[in-house]
Amino acid sequence: MEYSLGNYDVIVIGAGHAGCEAGLASARLGKKTAVFVINLDTLANMPCNPSIGGTSKGHLVREIDALGGEMAKVADKTFLQSKMLNMSKGPAVHSLRVQSDRRMYHIEMKRTLENQENLDVYQAEIVKILVEDGKVIGVKTKIGATVYGKCIVVATGTYLKGKIIIGEVSYESGPDGVFPANDLSQSLLDIGVELRRFKTGTPARINVNTMDLKKMEEQFGDEKIVPFSFENELNEEIKHKKQISCYLTYTNQETHKIIMDNLDRSPIYSGKIHGIGPRYCPSIEDKVVRFHDKERHQLFIEPLGEKTNEMYIQGMSSSLPEEVQIKMYRTIPGLENAKLMRPAYAIEYDCIDSTNLKLSLEYKGIEGLFFAGQVNGSSGYEEAAAQGIMAGINASRKIDHLEPFVLDRSEAYIGVLIDDLVTKGTNEPYRMMTSRSEYRLTLRQDNADIRLTEKGHEIGLISEERYQRFLEKKHSIEKEIERLRNTVIKPTQEVNEVLTKLGSSPLSTGVKLSELLKRSELTYLNLEKIDKKRTSLPDSVIEEAETELKYEGYIKLQLEQIHEFKKLENRKLSPDIDFEQIKGLSLEARQKLNKQKPLSVGQASRISGVSPADISVLLIYLSQNNM
Amino acid sequence: MSTQTIAAIGTALSNSGISIIRISGEQSLHIIQKIFVSKAKLEPNKIIYGKIVDDEKVLDHVLVSYFKAPHSYTGEDICEINCHGGNEITKEILELVLVSGARLAEAGEFSKRAFLNGKMDLSQAEAVIHLINAKTRTESRVALNQLEGNISKKIRELREDLIELLAHIEVSVDYPEYDYEEVENSYVIHLIDEKVNKINSILSTYDQGRIIQNGINVAILGMPNVGKSSLLNKLANYDKAIVTDIPGTTRDIIEERVSIGDVVLNIADTAGIRDTEDVIERIGVEKSLQKMEEVDLIIYMINVEEGIQKEDLELLSKIKNKGIKLIVVLNKMDKMEKSIFYTILEELKANEFESVIEMSIQNELGIEELKNEIQKLFYQSDFDYEHELIITNTRHKDLLKKAIESLTIAKNELLQGQPIDIVGIYLKNAGNFLGEIIGANVSQDVMDKIFEKFCVGK
Repeated sequence: MEYSLGNYDVIVIGAGHAGCEAGLASARLGKKTAVFVINLDTLANMPCNPSIGGTSKGHLVREIDALGGEMAKVADKTFLQSKMLNMSKGPAVHSLRVQSDRRMYHIEMKRTLENQENLDVYQAEIVKILVEDGKVIGVKTKIGATVYGKCIVVATGTYLKGKIIIGEVSYESGPDGVFPANDLSQSLLDIGVELRRFKTGTPARINVNTMDLKKMEEQFGDEKIVPFSFENELNEEIKHKKQISCYLTYTNQETHKIIMDNLDRSPIYSGKIHGIGPRYCPSIEDKVVRFHDKERHQLFIEPLGEKTNEMYIQGMSSSLPEEVQIKMYRTIPGLENAKLMRPAYAIEYDCIDSTNLKLSLEYKGIEGLFFAGQVNGSSGYEEAAAQGIMAGINASRKIDHLEPFVLDRSEAYIGVLIDDLVTKGTNEPYRMMTSRSEYRLTLRQDNADIRLTEKGHEIGLISEERYQRFLEKKHSIEKEIERLRNTVIKPTQEVNEVLTKLGSSPLSTGVKLSELLKRSELTYLNLEKIDKKRTSLPDSVIEEAETELKYEGYIKLQLEQIHEFKKLENRKLSPDIDFEQIKGLSLEARQKLNKQKPLSVGQASRISGVSPADISVLLIYLSQNNM
Repeated sequence: MSTQTIAAIGTALSNSGISIIRISGEQSLHIIQKIFVSKAKLEPNKIIYGKIVDDEKVLDHVLVSYFKAPHSYTGEDICEINCHGGNEITKEILELVLVSGARLAEAGEFSKRAFLNGKMDLSQAEAVIHLINAKTRTESRVALNQLEGNISKKIRELREDLIELLAHIEVSVDYPEYDYEEVENSYVIHLIDEKVNKINSILSTYDQGRIIQNGINVAILGMPNVGKSSLLNKLANYDKAIVTDIPGTTRDIIEERVSIGDVVLNIADTAGIRDTEDVIERIGVEKSLQKMEEVDLIIYMINVEEGIQKEDLELLSKIKNKGIKLIVVLNKMDKMEKSIFYTILEELKANEFESVIEMSIQNELGIEELKNEIQKLFYQSDFDYEHELIITNTRHKDLLKKAIESLTIAKNELLQGQPIDIVGIYLKNAGNFLGEIIGANVSQDVMDKIFEKFCVGK
């Protein structure tokens, strides 16, 4: 019997980190939204490490927050430990990371979706996407229901034809023992979506009662906690939360010997795994083989939650047989008697070629079909969430007949992430890294709100109240910068004594505070005795004012580079150009350009296989044809 | 894309035995059929014998070859006329071709079309243009050396260490908790110094390279009617400038490429240096003075008949102050009067002008001495032109300079205690500038290096 669950504006397939953000964004923009998940108890699950943020990923979380997303807020509610990484380096690479209570994160996010107006969450496997005249019209569930929708966001993570591999054993499965989505792959192929196969892996979870933590180094959280969400900047409760420790231990020669002795039983080396795995996330087998002269590898032991004994063994993912794993883990100091509650495994899954997407994350050639998250070939919860919110926003805007919302590489890490995926494409699961950003001095985690709140507000995801608070903050930053620029410090004996004490050279003439701040040994904090007129300001305001002044020269240089970058970005390419007809282009460039149809010369220049010589030909062609 | 048919003389206008006129474009064959008569039929990739005729008049007996698009150098229809040298005949035939529907090719336009039609890539095109333009053996050796990719090799070597260092820095930024040794500042500084030195030594070849590539820019200066145009004509064996006895006849700068031994001279004959009310003449003088900013060598001529003037000495000391190489030529020695001649010599000696040539163009005296003096001043015979990397391209020079600039800033930042990721930005810029020379992208290279060199990840 044909029956329908109803008509929706936006249908989201999958409720991981991408699906949740997509669903929330779309519903918050007033679109009737349905989110489907195979098992409701795995909504917003963390099937790998129980943590949010980290280098460059922390940037993504704050950008999502500035646009009105949810990840930062839930992370703030459910963290066990918080740490700002890279504090010994420049402000551009400071990165926030928390250890999360995996179960509590799921519960908080699920409740957020449940309480969201315009949003229905269903437990159902989607087996078919319905397309009519090149346009999506709805989906079908495994038990036969039809659901109609104008736009669809596919956020299936690693579930598409998921296959778990442990040693000689393999079976069809999603992560964490959940059913895979076996039928949807075929439906995607049927509507013309190209699929490929990637692989990733996760280490074992071990009962803390069977560990000897005394043999490991305890790793504490920061004393001064910085919340993820800009909304929580003044939240004292978060800042004083009791934290739980992680632990550091190491592999040793014995561990490596067991691995080498059993390499023939590893599916990667026996050829059983066909999917392409990420280089930055190698299994312990990979590490031992590729870096055989390294005597030991670090392992971080991270708690899965407050109310569980499970510990995550970061640094030791594996696809060796379970019995070998047990032996291997037990060579580690502190894990001699370890009991594995969940073994390490590798997982293979179908994903799409992200170069088939537009920058809006809509699939080229199928109207209304959006993709977000790991199915696009990325990896990581934060990368997924970032794509999720963008796909949700753009699905909603498509229904409203609005221009897609696209961030470019100079505006946000989200822009770098999506441009990398869509323009350059990826041959392995893609992880965000600060080194991927050309403009990281201006794309800091601390100024994500300054960069993006305005846009979030314009789109409609930032409330009027939050926006007003943001404007106030921005104003006080500007005011403080102005004050620092205009305050002259005279070379008094007192001043010079303070400076000498701080290891800074004394003054002979009056100098502006803003100039003093540029000295690397001086900070806003240690200049307190000299700067007598300062008023008490929130940490976030001080940090922003200080960074903007301290790194003024570099930021200016970066802005000039951004200006240059924008020139090529603004050199638009008409979608009607037939690159096949431009004789000077290399064969590869013609094919790639015709397939990808870049929107600007800048975008064209980032397509792999398009050389600088091709770009000069393109520019000559454009000027010859007055384009 | 419809383009005009272009034509040009494919060989240098000099004393070579055979000259080639190349015509490229849709109209090539049509034009040839208008002016070329032969018993044989013109077919692709064949050379046939015949006559070039202007109306009824036979201009020359020639060989003509035809290459059909796209199987030609430019990718267009090409006809080539091999004629019997001689500047006059070659020029006459070219004019006939132009009258028949072609337009004169701009410098490098054949290669540009070849590039635009996908017949070669940019770096090849650059090297080929160099090779074609090579007038001397040294020049072609340098061009060949570049064609074989020696630039890429050197730059690649330079970049390699830089990328490794960057990967090291980046890995410490992106994986802060992993137990890799942090990069030591002293090592970074050592590496920067080493790279700057290497780039500087490549850069120092640029002047030599430019001279090999483009020749020595020579200006002939002197009062009106001291014989500047005559000297130019003598050196070029060719009546180009108008030579008269009326002072101030030469009104514009006329350039000529002259090859002497292993050195090419780009000689500018300039208007006489003399205060004049004549507006056109004044422009010429101004150009002469302006030209002085760009020249490598000034040949300053003095008429021994008239002696050395106050203006001569003023100009000579100006030139000397600019540090431009200078040869003083004393012309019209055949009409020399001893007293005047010795006064001149004494004046020159007092002002320490050492390079002095006595000359009589009329009697062909002193020309060889002048050529020898020029060779002595510019050609470094101990330089290994075949194996040393010499840069000749301004684009390369500018990029190398920018790389040095970025490296220097990186070092200063580091010494001032800025964090390594900030320093990394400048190192990355340096890597990008070097990469632009060979068309490579740093970001991707650094990424690959990180995964190759470091064991990171969960």
